[in-house]
Amino acid sequence: MAAAEVLSKGRRPGLARLLLIAVALLFLGLFLVMPLLVVFVQALAKGIGAYLVAISDPLAWTAIRLTLYVAAIAVPCNLLFGVAAAWAIAKFEFRGKSTLITLIDLPFAVSPVIAGLVFVLLFGSHGWFGGYLRMHHIRVIFAVPGIVLATIFVTFPFIARELIPVMQAQGKDDEETARSLGASGWQTFWHVTLPNIRWGLMYGVLLCNARAMGEFGAVSVVSGHIRGLTNTMPLHVEILYNEYNYTAAFAVASLLALLALLTLAGKSFLEWRQPELKHAARQVRDRTRRVNT
Amino acid sequence: MSIALRGIAKKFGEFAAVKDIDLDVPTGALIALLGPSGCGKTTLLRIIAGLETPDQGQVLFDGRDATLWPIRDRNVGFVFQHYALFRHMSVFENVAFGLKVKPRRERPAGAEIRKKVHSLLELVQLDGAGDRYPAQLSGGQRQRVALARALAVDPAVLLLDEPFGALDSQVRHELRRWLRRLHDELHFTSIFVTHDQQEAIELADTIVVLNRGRIEQFGVPGEVYDLPTSAFAHRFLGQVNELPVQLRDGRAFLGPVDISPAAALRTDANYIALIRPHEIEIGPEASGWPAAVVAVRVIGPIVRLELCAEGRPVNEPMEAEISRERYEGEHFSVGQKVGLRFRRWQVYPANGAVA
Repeated sequence: MAAAEVLSKGRRPGLARLLLIAVALLFLGLFLVMPLLVVFVQALAKGIGAYLVAISDPLAWTAIRLTLYVAAIAVPCNLLFGVAAAWAIAKFEFRGKSTLITLIDLPFAVSPVIAGLVFVLLFGSHGWFGGYLRMHHIRVIFAVPGIVLATIFVTFPFIARELIPVMQAQGKDDEETARSLGASGWQTFWHVTLPNIRWGLMYGVLLCNARAMGEFGAVSVVSGHIRGLTNTMPLHVEILYNEYNYTAAFAVASLLALLALLTLAGKSFLEWRQPELKHAARQVRDRTRRVNT
Repeated sequence: MSIALRGIAKKFGEFAAVKDIDLDVPTGALIALLGPSGCGKTTLLRIIAGLETPDQGQVLFDGRDATLWPIRDRNVGFVFQHYALFRHMSVFENVAFGLKVKPRRERPAGAEIRKKVHSLLELVQLDGAGDRYPAQLSGGQRQRVALARALAVDPAVLLLDEPFGALDSQVRHELRRWLRRLHDELHFTSIFVTHDQQEAIELADTIVVLNRGRIEQFGVPGEVYDLPTSAFAHRFLGQVNELPVQLRDGRAFLGPVDISPAAALRTDANYIALIRPHEIEIGPEASGWPAAVVAVRVIGPIVRLELCAEGRPVNEPMEAEISRERYEGEHFSVGQKVGLRFRRWQVYPANGAVA
């Protein structure tokens, strides 16, 4: 309303709009599109041959495999946790609910480096559980388990955060109806709750996955940077870069960027595919409108 | 199935939603829980359904203690105000849901499910809409699908939470009549919640008026309307005119009209008289309490007159209703002087309890 008034009062109503669009585009180009282009330009600077050599390097491959491996563990873990937490928060009343909501946001609030350090303090050789782990010959820090733990911690909130508002907006009526019709808890979840949240869930999984693959700070602290063993793709990129091996660094970076672009494409696909989501949003709007009148 | 509530109480935090409720619902009854928002009617319905657990008291189904039975064992159908249709399922799948989730031993065969769903869709006059999705239906159609879905599992009790609250008045009226017919045909016990007194009067055999978590009155619609036992029930069940009662020489008056009841009123208390619009008698000016007609509104078969009686504040006119025929015969007009008398009235202490 206010913006519309300002526009209609101006002498040339198109001007403000053009200006806003121009600023937005300029900003977008400068800070988002250009860096992305630079990654690909740099990666291909010495020709496609050098690029292929760089990404077929065995060390690069172990980094890629480790990254995929970590994501393959962290994302399902957070999927389980996210659905459980969102379910609990949206559908039940219990003591300490607001504390739980705040706790879920903790990984967003804490610097990833600190998250990594926490795990070192817990599981490192001088950490709280260090003695026990050494006795049983279990390596967590400077090994894959540490990387998985740190990644799970950092990507903790993505799915829960995505689902809580969706589930809260949908309320409990559908579940209660299903129960009254004789459905068991599992049948209710599988046939009623899950279909209701599936788009929100996929969206959360995509974001969680993107972050799990791209995480640097926390993983960097716990990984120990052992080449061929505990280097994920982002860590590998950093090492190559620090060795002035720009082509290889950007080549691996371009793969990460490609993953990010694929994620974004998946997200837009979901948004485009979501007549049901739009419909759900409209129903929620109608519902609130009716309640308000 | 008969339902009995014994001393039911439920608190949400500090707020006591229902307090010490006793209620008997005989098999096959159609009962309305009527009251303003926050009176506890929905909580009571949800306790009967098993969606809430009471803090105190018992819920008896056919005399058996069902207080702690989970909802899926209660054999109740529950219908929500906003239908709660599964939006990713077609109408057919929605209605079939309760049959398909039955344990394998009890689950009917596919063909049997199809037959049953189609007969239910026919019952709710939606045969042929089985392939459509909830988003493609109107509000009234959605509520009928919700009813068919609830009926699919042959519930002994149908519980409806403001079932027509989200519909426009025409559709509402139709659906009420339709539900009444359905109830009479299928003989299940029904309890519905409403804040609309007209809906309660039109649909129910028995009305339970709730106020602040307690049962205020219980009875057949005509009785509750004509003989309210409290000022609250009187106000809630229809339009009323509220007039302060003047006590003079041991007698009670509204203006010059003597309304002294048989029992003497205490002279140290304040009383109000509640009078429904159709209980005001309008005659020639000399025949009663002098008043002026300040507005006339023709509403279909009735005509509502706003009347300002002598000695009453101008901004609080009384409302009287007369028949269209009488209005067309005598033709009251704005500014006309008339005299008021009262056919019926009820006197309550000004704080709300019964006199």
